[in-house]
Amino acid sequence: MKRLIRLTVNDKNYEIAVKPNQTLADVIREEIGLTGTKKGCEMGECGTCTVLLDGKPVNSCLVLAVQADGGHVLTIEGLETDQGLHPIQQAFVEKGAIQCGFCTSGMILSAKSLLDQNPEADEQEIRAAISGNLCRCTGYQKIVEAIQSVKDQGSVS
Amino acid sequence: MLLPEFEFHEPTTVSKACEIMGQLGAKARLLAGGTDLVVNMKKKVVRPDHVVSLGRIDILKGIIEENGLLTIGACMTAAELAGAEVIRSNLPALADGARVLGSPLIRNLATVAGNLVSARPAADLPPPLMAYGARAVLTKTSGERSVDLKDFFLGPGKTVMDPDEILTRITIEVPRGRYGDSYIKLGVRQTLEISLVNVAAFIRLDRPDGSITKARIVLGSVGPTPLRAVSAEKALMGQSPSDALFARAGEAAAGDARPIDDFRGSAEYRRDMVGVLTRRALSAALDRARSL
Repeated sequence: MKRLIRLTVNDKNYEIAVKPNQTLADVIREEIGLTGTKKGCEMGECGTCTVLLDGKPVNSCLVLAVQADGGHVLTIEGLETDQGLHPIQQAFVEKGAIQCGFCTSGMILSAKSLLDQNPEADEQEIRAAISGNLCRCTGYQKIVEAIQSVKDQGSVS
Repeated sequence: MLLPEFEFHEPTTVSKACEIMGQLGAKARLLAGGTDLVVNMKKKVVRPDHVVSLGRIDILKGIIEENGLLTIGACMTAAELAGAEVIRSNLPALADGARVLGSPLIRNLATVAGNLVSARPAADLPPPLMAYGARAVLTKTSGERSVDLKDFFLGPGKTVMDPDEILTRITIEVPRGRYGDSYIKLGVRQTLEISLVNVAAFIRLDRPDGSITKARIVLGSVGPTPLRAVSAEKALMGQSPSDALFARAGEAAAGDARPIDDFRGSAEYRRDMVGVLTRRALSAALDRARSL
């Protein structure tokens, strides 16, 4: 039986009827239509489905949508504003930190969570923060450099 | 990957949750962080007709310290444990275990109770918890019981819990006196790793340069359940700490281990590493005890 849940996704309010066995990742992609959140392993190993749920990065493939009822979700689509790309997104573009792009949404959201809490994060802390996000192009060096460059500009918002 | 269908329950109190589990028993599974249950349901390893979420029961989140007793709510996440000041300052080995569990994303979901009830031999939280002599409180409609964690695990995936019981909290007597603890995890990667071997150590000294009055060594991933290395503990009691003593304790712990060969490592390697890690864990625990 479907249940009505309330979600705030990227500052927009949604009331959605979901089945208990739908994951948050599925609801974000299929019901709300935001496909920037990817599904890779669907087992909590790869991190491509990373979203910020109430400010914390989680594997949205492991959260039931009904569990997230009342929650605030930030997906990759929520980062860009009228002023343009978020500084972390811009840095990924400029530093060539995107290859196939499949891990990028998750990488950027994990990086945002880190820099929100710890704007002075060092390389070690950056590597630890993205350690739940796998890049199968193995372009980690550029990703770390991109996150570091945002920190150096001090322009995280 | 589709999840099988199930009925979803979301009680807001422990007593309501107990009532539901009392009615449904083995037809239902409890959901806390979901990092184990949801994966197993996707793999169709478990197919419960009912899923009972503990996520809306506020009393299961949080840590209370009262009269020297620390009570950790079942639904505290690994990230919350690793960050809690009361844990970091009193039980640093538990904070260490919580910090290396899964990945940062998993740690924001996975709960302390889930890490116990899933009963994986390589789990990161049972060794440090057992090193403090922690107990699990199991609750059902007819009452509660408190089980020493050393008696809680029966085998891989198996515990003493009845189908209608809920692990609601973990209790730990905050160690007193001059004590030190540590937790070391050995794997081939730093994240998303299942331990090849892990070791937690706890020792108490009568004086800064005195002898050992209490010792607990717990070994993970080298037996069907986390194990107390009883002969290593015996070797330490009443002795004054030294590298030679810790090496002897390491050898004793290697003898206590019951490792198997699997694709992650051989039994022989694991046994050797129990010796090495026990020695290192004891040295780290001694450093903490002396720096108090």
